[in-house]
Amino acid sequence: MTFFRILKRSNSLGIAGLLLLAGAGCSLAQVSGAKDFMSPVGASWPTFNGDYSGRRYSSLTQINRTNVKSLKLAWAFQTHSVTLKSTPLEVNGILYFTVPDYVWAVDAKTGAKVWEFQRPSDGDHIGQRGVAFYNGRIYFGTPDAHLFCLDARTGKKIWEITVARVQSGYYVSVAPLIIKGRVIIGTSGDDENIPHFIIAYDWKTGAEVWRTPTLPKPGTPAARTWPNDKTMNDGGGPAWMTGTYDPQLNLIYWGTGNPHPVLAGTVRPGDNLYTCSILALNADTGKMVWYFQASPHDTHDWDAVETPVLFDADFDGKPRKLLAQASRNGYFFVLDRTTGKNLVSAPFVPTNFAKGVRADGSPIPNPAKEPQPDGALVSSAEVGGTNWAAASFDPQTGLFYVNAMQGYSYWYLVLDKNGHAETHEGGEVLTLKTTAALLGVDYKTGKIRWRREAGARVNNAGILTTAGHLLFTSDAFGNLLALDPADGHVLWHTRPGGNENDAAPVTYELDGTQYVVTGVDGVMYAWSLNGSL
Amino acid sequence: MKRIMHLRQKRSPGFLALKFVIGLGIFLTVSLTASAQTDPMSAPDVQRGKAQFQKSCAMCHGAQATGGEGPNLLESAVVTNPRKYHNLLAKVIQDGRPEKGMPAFPTLSPTEISEITAFLNARVQVAESSGASNQDVLKRLLTGNADAGERYFNGQGKCSTCHSVTGDLAGIAQKYPPRELEARFLYPPGQSEMATVTLSSGKKMKGTLQHLDAFIVAITDTDGSYHSWPVQAVKVQVENPLAGHLDLLQKYTDKDIHDVFSYLETLK
Repeated sequence: MTFFRILKRSNSLGIAGLLLLAGAGCSLAQVSGAKDFMSPVGASWPTFNGDYSGRRYSSLTQINRTNVKSLKLAWAFQTHSVTLKSTPLEVNGILYFTVPDYVWAVDAKTGAKVWEFQRPSDGDHIGQRGVAFYNGRIYFGTPDAHLFCLDARTGKKIWEITVARVQSGYYVSVAPLIIKGRVIIGTSGDDENIPHFIIAYDWKTGAEVWRTPTLPKPGTPAARTWPNDKTMNDGGGPAWMTGTYDPQLNLIYWGTGNPHPVLAGTVRPGDNLYTCSILALNADTGKMVWYFQASPHDTHDWDAVETPVLFDADFDGKPRKLLAQASRNGYFFVLDRTTGKNLVSAPFVPTNFAKGVRADGSPIPNPAKEPQPDGALVSSAEVGGTNWAAASFDPQTGLFYVNAMQGYSYWYLVLDKNGHAETHEGGEVLTLKTTAALLGVDYKTGKIRWRREAGARVNNAGILTTAGHLLFTSDAFGNLLALDPADGHVLWHTRPGGNENDAAPVTYELDGTQYVVTGVDGVMYAWSLNGSL
Repeated sequence: MKRIMHLRQKRSPGFLALKFVIGLGIFLTVSLTASAQTDPMSAPDVQRGKAQFQKSCAMCHGAQATGGEGPNLLESAVVTNPRKYHNLLAKVIQDGRPEKGMPAFPTLSPTEISEITAFLNARVQVAESSGASNQDVLKRLLTGNADAGERYFNGQGKCSTCHSVTGDLAGIAQKYPPRELEARFLYPPGQSEMATVTLSSGKKMKGTLQHLDAFIVAITDTDGSYHSWPVQAVKVQVENPLAGHLDLLQKYTDKDIHDVFSYLETLK
């Protein structure tokens, strides 16, 4: 069913050993060959999504549906910091995780600190999604839009480059993606009207290899989806979540965010390409091969940056290379990832911002539900149907899992007397009601197979599935959960005492013990079957 | 159940930057910041507070404190009335508001907290001097037909079954600024659900619902005492006092809302 071959730990070590013998001078997680990264996540968790596919599905089975009720706390690491919103990496027994301005390297078996990197900076500190590891180096983006290369052994800086000007409103929150020795990042920033980019740097030197704007070039057909070049060139499309990669097609899939100004659609009539889109880029050149726009002419800040999850599965009776995204506008999309052809567009939460779906699969925004001077009621949570928190695809159940939000919000358009957006926002929104639920979605139809209520507020918990027939996540009530991915029933839960369980859960195996780690507020917790607490 | 309500606006008026964009990716930024004497943002403690705010607070409250996942602080009485609430603000920063999802910041020093407070006060000053007046907002929002709103209030909307324009809503338009009035009539904040918990003995306990998930139910009873039980051990019946408002959110047309708002604005 899937081209992602199950890879046991012994196989990983074998490949690593071969590379070491070949004089690569690198260790386990430095294995960067495409074949290794195509396999499901196994003993380690070496990248933001674990592997290139973004499924967040681990082949580990020591902790499983039968024994998960015995899960105990193995260790905890207190950062004394703000809420962890990063996915930890586990490489060679060390966990690496972040908040803005900080990286910690921690013993993955004991929680003991190995090193800490700290660099106060200006810029937007809204979130930091994690680091990338390659050839003994750690890559880390900062609120002032710099990219750091650190020595993974010590946390000492090797080089630092400026990605973009923080004074213009840029920052870097994304966990970099490493492909063929290139460190690929996207720019963040939604405080000023600016253009955004996806950029590849050389792992060794930090030299720029390619840079792809997320807005069209003037004079191209896509540019006609904007009223004029000036509006387009300031038009946003931040690329602030890590993309995925298909080594066989050599395509990178990267989501883009909302257009600028954010809520004032009247000043930028048109679809506003390539904002709120999924872009397929050639990994060597950055050239765009195809795009799919999840939200033409977005006016609600509902980015399409959610992870484009890759899997091979049957569709209409034929095996296909698929890409699925539960997008922030509340629509679940399935595309053929070779061509970008849309196969499924179905709302996974109730929403009335769209009045239908176009032939190409993109929703048709209802102009009456754009922000209005006197307000428009939209039957969606203000935050959208979901946000940056990790979704997961479990090949065993064939279900796509997403922590979703629904509710009501009320949207105002605010223009100045010349009809321009008064601010970068160009409007205001009242958050009326938000409720959260975990959904198991049938990828073939977008139909909800099961649903578990998750509380009356935003839930930004990530999701992990494993071959042990488990789904790990959190709800907005403060519970950490292990669920049966087949139907969502609870197999294990605990209350770790925090409000925000926002760091996506990951799993790894060391010295015969499988661990699951979860961030709770500013504390990282590791759970195992032989934990002591 | 708790919820976070915020108004999202003017996320970055502080920059006041005029940008010249030449091609893609080449920028010249000319700052038009007001002079040091008149700009409340330029004071050194405010600048230090701003830096600290970016590190510790902006991820929820936005870089300009106008809200994000957390509320707009420039519309919070704890912030806008520092004389009355200064100590409370410091305490909120230090201890957090766990029940609303705000973490504690135990590592911030008293000086750092005082600088954050100075930054927030400066932001309030800037916002007040540059922001649209309530009259401007009212002019923008007042597009409905008050007579139609009155008919909706007494008829289709069934508002008058719970509310009275000479009772609880008397003078409501003077009590709240326009957007807050609109938010409050659409879905009033801070209303707790009520629960009746039937124990295995058959005893019924009534109170304000504090927590209800798949595992635990908790209430504060009519005496103000807190109780909790495993959900499996009891029967729970929840009553949402906002059920009528929720029902209307599913039925309103935008015109209905504009009409009702215009009607409520006549209640001075």
